[in-house]
Amino acid sequence: MRLIGFKYLKEQRILTLALILTLASMLFSITAFSLLGFYKGFTAYLGEEEDIVAIYDRKSKTPFTGLVPAYLAERISAVNGVLASSLEAMVPCIVKGEAIFLRGIVPEDFAKLNPLTIIEGSILELGDLNSIIVGKNTADRLNIKQNEKVLVLGVLTNQYIELRVKGIYESHSVMDDEALAPLYVGQWLRGTDYGHVTLIRFKIDRSVVSPSAIFEEVAKEASEPSPSQGETQKPFEELIMPIVRARFRIEDVGVEEAQSFMRSYLDRYGVTREALLILSVMVFLFSTVSVTIASKTIITQHKGEINVLRSVGASKKLLKRDILIKLLPWSLIASSTGVVLAIIVLTVIQGCGYLKVLSHAVPFQLDPLIIALNFILVSLLVSISILGSDLE
Amino acid sequence: MLFRKGGTASAILAIALLVAILASMNAIVNHINLQTEALRGLLNIGGTYLILSGNSTYITDSKIGADLANQISNTTYIKNVLPQKVLTANITTKSRNNIIKIRAVEDVKIFLKLRKAYVNGTTAKSKTEANIGEILARVVAINLQDELNLTIGDNILKVKVVGIFRTQTEIDADLIVPMEASNKLTKDSGWISLIEFALKENINSEDTLNRITQQLPKDVKIVKTQQLKEFMQEMSMQTLTFLNTWSLTIYAMVAAASHIIATRLTTESRYELTMLKAIGAKKKHIFTLVLTYTAAIAILGSILGIALGIAGAQTASTILRWIWPSIEITPFLEVGQALQTLLLTLASSILGCTYPAFRSTHTRYMEQPL
Repeated sequence: MRLIGFKYLKEQRILTLALILTLASMLFSITAFSLLGFYKGFTAYLGEEEDIVAIYDRKSKTPFTGLVPAYLAERISAVNGVLASSLEAMVPCIVKGEAIFLRGIVPEDFAKLNPLTIIEGSILELGDLNSIIVGKNTADRLNIKQNEKVLVLGVLTNQYIELRVKGIYESHSVMDDEALAPLYVGQWLRGTDYGHVTLIRFKIDRSVVSPSAIFEEVAKEASEPSPSQGETQKPFEELIMPIVRARFRIEDVGVEEAQSFMRSYLDRYGVTREALLILSVMVFLFSTVSVTIASKTIITQHKGEINVLRSVGASKKLLKRDILIKLLPWSLIASSTGVVLAIIVLTVIQGCGYLKVLSHAVPFQLDPLIIALNFILVSLLVSISILGSDLE
Repeated sequence: MLFRKGGTASAILAIALLVAILASMNAIVNHINLQTEALRGLLNIGGTYLILSGNSTYITDSKIGADLANQISNTTYIKNVLPQKVLTANITTKSRNNIIKIRAVEDVKIFLKLRKAYVNGTTAKSKTEANIGEILARVVAINLQDELNLTIGDNILKVKVVGIFRTQTEIDADLIVPMEASNKLTKDSGWISLIEFALKENINSEDTLNRITQQLPKDVKIVKTQQLKEFMQEMSMQTLTFLNTWSLTIYAMVAAASHIIATRLTTESRYELTMLKAIGAKKKHIFTLVLTYTAAIAILGSILGIALGIAGAQTASTILRWIWPSIEITPFLEVGQALQTLLLTLASSILGCTYPAFRSTHTRYMEQPL
């Protein structure tokens, strides 16, 4: 007996199941896209490339609050294979009543690691006293214009500073949610001396030098500090900023690939990509009972038609298989609709500025794994619900 | 009668599991927010405040009466009152011209002492002397004993750098002069830009600030320089905003699930509902019956879900602590949140079941196919 061409399931009734499946898919997709987006955004915060290495404070509980000796940048830059270095002092602060992150940098060095496009005004220089450049997203959010003066209030320290907006930049990265200022401004707001920064990033040639080789150099410096050079031989930033050589213990300093460094912070709290994916799947599984009830309701609603088919010789197995064949395309459509709706919802809430963690927009990308997982979970769930149902 | 139907348990479970997702997420976010709050206690919060003009958004935009500083100084519960005039001026040295920030204070020595400055040289005592911050000195290449011409509009003042200081604060980029020097440059001694002050130890800052605000003219405002609390609140708000937006999908799921539950009930109970009609039940009775059934399922599901959510989150955190002993997560749910979840679930459920309940009032047993 063939039932494929026989339309005994009413579309209006199937729509309810489709609605539940759409919402379950949407819930899973929103959860997975946003959680994995957060994970990706956080781990890529200091650069995704394998050739970006960071010197950081091992004791620090967050990547934004550590302190390492700034002079290590000069020492490590002399190592063969180190192409560029960037001293960075990251600080949370309040501007126009809103929370933002400000990064104190040496602009000339920073540009070698993160090229910026200035869309308004001009590029920042280390000698630009009382100046700041603002990321596009921050400028839009706080309605900041070029040449505007802003009062920056400290969070970690009891400091305040008036800065003029020299320019607005775009980087197509998380930095668009930040503001950049000369290194010493970051150090003032961080409450540290001129000898320390939050972290130092290096661009390296991996065929010549590795992070472990850099760590060895740092260890050497910790045990036998190199003699200080004369001020006349110093680079530009050291002519502007006082030279402070701070002693340190090697146990307090770590050297790691930038992405691994950020990942290690999340790992400390048990937040891994796999854990977030499992959490998203758990959210989907928690909605399975609703889907099962919806599947059973469809069968209950078609009890009459099923009884007729049973009385004319259709076996339970045949009926279950036929219902499944008829419902699977609906399930896949519902699943796709759920993914599309999730993308629309996330785009809207991101556009409204609601999708933020630590004042940084959470980027979300269409991850084929999430979409595939969505289809697999929905198909499996519908199959189990229909095949496991009692047609009596 | 309806509660004895086979699908009731699974209906309660369906709602409960959806609510459990919400409850567990809320419980974890509560823990994160509590940790963020606790961070505040680890930091030494400075008690420095600024008095600025009410309509100003930045310091050089602010103008307040110079006599206000005397009024504030007489207040017993505040200390370190520092009236300051902040100006933008052009400086001319032998070799170059630059635009810099000048900060005029009553007593340069006291001001630098309060900023814990290290001074190379002496402190400015007259209107012809100035102290320069280390960063500014390096950027504009000024040395000790250099003479500078300060220009604001048509007014020019010649000063000698008597000291270079380092405070590792924002004034390292300023030129500090006595107030009389700035009055000479602006030809106006009637205003200042800001008054910096700190509260004395062991006093209730909120009460004191309210008292100070009452004493001040209406056109000035007080700004706290360290905004840790505000920053933390905004961080928590960002997480909560996303969580609330995300939970809308869960409530939509609850509404859809309730629609299914009510549909299933009316389909499976056609005979009973028709019997009730036959013995005199009106449409509104049938409608109320279906609505009450779904609402009861929603309430029971919510209570079970909240319990499951909290228990699940706590179990997961205990397991995590076994695996990684350094991780300490203590999820919790506030009574208000639990009540809000219960009410929103109930509202979503009623919304979802209204249409099937309405349809049930128009369905007859005869209409059932076969």
